Amino acid sequence: MASGQQWVLVEMVQAFYEAPAYHLILEGILILWIIRLLFSKTYKLQERSDLTEKEKEELIEEWQPEPLVPLVSKDHPSLNYDVVTGFVSAVSGHISEEMNLPPSHKIIVNGKECVNFASFNFLGLLESERVKLKALSSLKKYGVGTCGPRGFYGTFDVHLELEERLAKFMRTEEAIIYSYGFATIASAIPAYSKRGDIIFVDEAACFSIQKGLQASRSFIKYFKHNDMEDLERLLKEQEIEDQKNPRKAKVIRRFIVIEGLYINTADLCPLPELVKLKYKYKVRIFLEESMSFGVLGEHGRGVTEHFGVNIDDIDLISANMENALASIGGFCCGRSFVIDHQRLSGQGYCFSASLPPMLAAAAIEALNIMEEDPGLFRVLRDKCKHVHKALQGTPGLKVVGEPLAPALHLQLENSSGSRTDDLKLLRAIVDYSLDRQIALTLARYLDKEERFLPPPSIRVVVTVEQTQEEIERAAQCIRQAAEKILK
Amino acid sequence: MQLLNRKYLFSFSCKMRFSKLFYSQLLKLMFYSVLFFVCRQKSKMNVGVAHSEVNPNTRVMNSRGIWLTYALGVGMLHIVLLSIPFFTVPVVWTLTNVIHNFGMYVFMHAVKGTPFETPDQGKARLLTHWEQLDYGVQFTSSRKFFTISPIILYFLASFYTKYDTAHFVINTASLLSVLIPKLPQLHGVRIFGINKY
Repeated sequence: MASGQQWVLVEMVQAFYEAPAYHLILEGILILWIIRLLFSKTYKLQERSDLTEKEKEELIEEWQPEPLVPLVSKDHPSLNYDVVTGFVSAVSGHISEEMNLPPSHKIIVNGKECVNFASFNFLGLLESERVKLKALSSLKKYGVGTCGPRGFYGTFDVHLELEERLAKFMRTEEAIIYSYGFATIASAIPAYSKRGDIIFVDEAACFSIQKGLQASRSFIKYFKHNDMEDLERLLKEQEIEDQKNPRKAKVIRRFIVIEGLYINTADLCPLPELVKLKYKYKVRIFLEESMSFGVLGEHGRGVTEHFGVNIDDIDLISANMENALASIGGFCCGRSFVIDHQRLSGQGYCFSASLPPMLAAAAIEALNIMEEDPGLFRVLRDKCKHVHKALQGTPGLKVVGEPLAPALHLQLENSSGSRTDDLKLLRAIVDYSLDRQIALTLARYLDKEERFLPPPSIRVVVTVEQTQEEIERAAQCIRQAAEKILK
Repeated sequence: MQLLNRKYLFSFSCKMRFSKLFYSQLLKLMFYSVLFFVCRQKSKMNVGVAHSEVNPNTRVMNSRGIWLTYALGVGMLHIVLLSIPFFTVPVVWTLTNVIHNFGMYVFMHAVKGTPFETPDQGKARLLTHWEQLDYGVQFTSSRKFFTISPIILYFLASFYTKYDTAHFVINTASLLSVLIPKLPQLHGVRIFGINKY
């Protein structure tokens, strides 16, 4: 606007003629650059392949296809499975009728009625009449399935009630329900831990944790089972690396994933030391409580109550409701700030149908029973100690697990070196017990998929329903089997 | 004689200063056309519907209508700057060039990651928007467009500043700051570790 000039084209063109040379040369280079751009082809950056065409052909010729169905021997254990039927021909009162009962304390395996030492029915809620009645009335009210995920008309009032009750029971701010126990921790871990983050895991972590770790694409560092020095060494190494590169350290998140009671080794994690390490090295703790929920602690709140650790020190507690609570599904509980994130990021929550309302109602009723009668947990603990003591001294078998653990492992004292042979021996013991009406099971793993495959074992499960005399009979039976088969 | 001169000038002049009334009508026209084009975006990018695109940042610059919106946005910026009374035309052009390049640098080459969570566990967390475009494929059409547009702006700015030295220095520095990060050799490169994490 200075001096109200009008920009005349003639003046502009004149300025162009009088332009300095360097400017015009630069513009010329830029025009050439544009032309080069317009004619360049798109390409991906990592297209380089280190193999020549000839080498590729050679590799293709060498390849031999594997058979679609690999050859399997006739006596492969998976081909000879045990068939469980729940059919009990019972005489109820004065009416003799054949009643169909589902397996719980008594189980019919291969046609023989046995005492159940294999199902994770710790509190005996599987055949509780109250739970069954509640489930039936819920079935009449809601039908069977929800036919939708939580975000798409799959949220029923029983789900919200169960979440509230679980949060109140565990004394945390909020809880979230998953419809499949395996998917609970496998969805929770990748919701928080992404590429570039670091997770410190115990070697004995169960398969669902391993799948969650795999899905998270983070850096996984395993420490020896329950070895706090090993964990501290790893944490110290990470601290040194963080000090070398503080800007990177500010962006990555660190987690420790542990189980309260390990399924594979039946022992407890040292939770107070872990909380100390958490605050020393600024790591978050994810605690998986599938086996210890409803088992440990004075009121059944799990390993935090057992050790007297403040529940706010644990960032996320995850458990499945398929063991003590005798329902289906799983839950995570913790602070609202933490749990709310899973409502959009938990893959198993957003993209799976929600828990059938019948099972949610059953879980609520089971929680009611647990809250009303905390004496159950002491009974269970006494029985566990009893079983642990009774199984000591079995010739050829060692008892792996704590006296508190409701699911013990019996492993061979002297392994024969080959896993299949060990499994055959243990299977013979199980068969012997089945003949004598004690139902036991081998602990099963996906051999090729497990990171640290545990040694073959028989899993003995203790429930509150087992009487003293049944426990004695079972211990006796196992001792006889071991003497006979493992001599 | 004077009148003849004025007529002569008129026939060759290109009026870059508008009368007030004409200017306000033009502003209204530009605003509504921008709004119209933005709202009628039937984009290849499905807005508000379920889509399987893992990282929408990769596809947003290919959406239908976005190039036009971008061009009109630059035009709006220029008109706004032109309407400030105490800037001369060369200053306005240099300012347009510099502000456009600064904005482009900040949004395409400085800010990293995505403003939303992606289902790929944070693959693009450390990548700038330019590096995320088309999942890292170089020389796609939108990449070419966004490389050429600051160059065109630079040509216009140097023409309208009459190739003045001071303006040349500022405009060239600004252009280089926006052209060099777009080279395929600098994909994922962080000089001196600046902006790496």
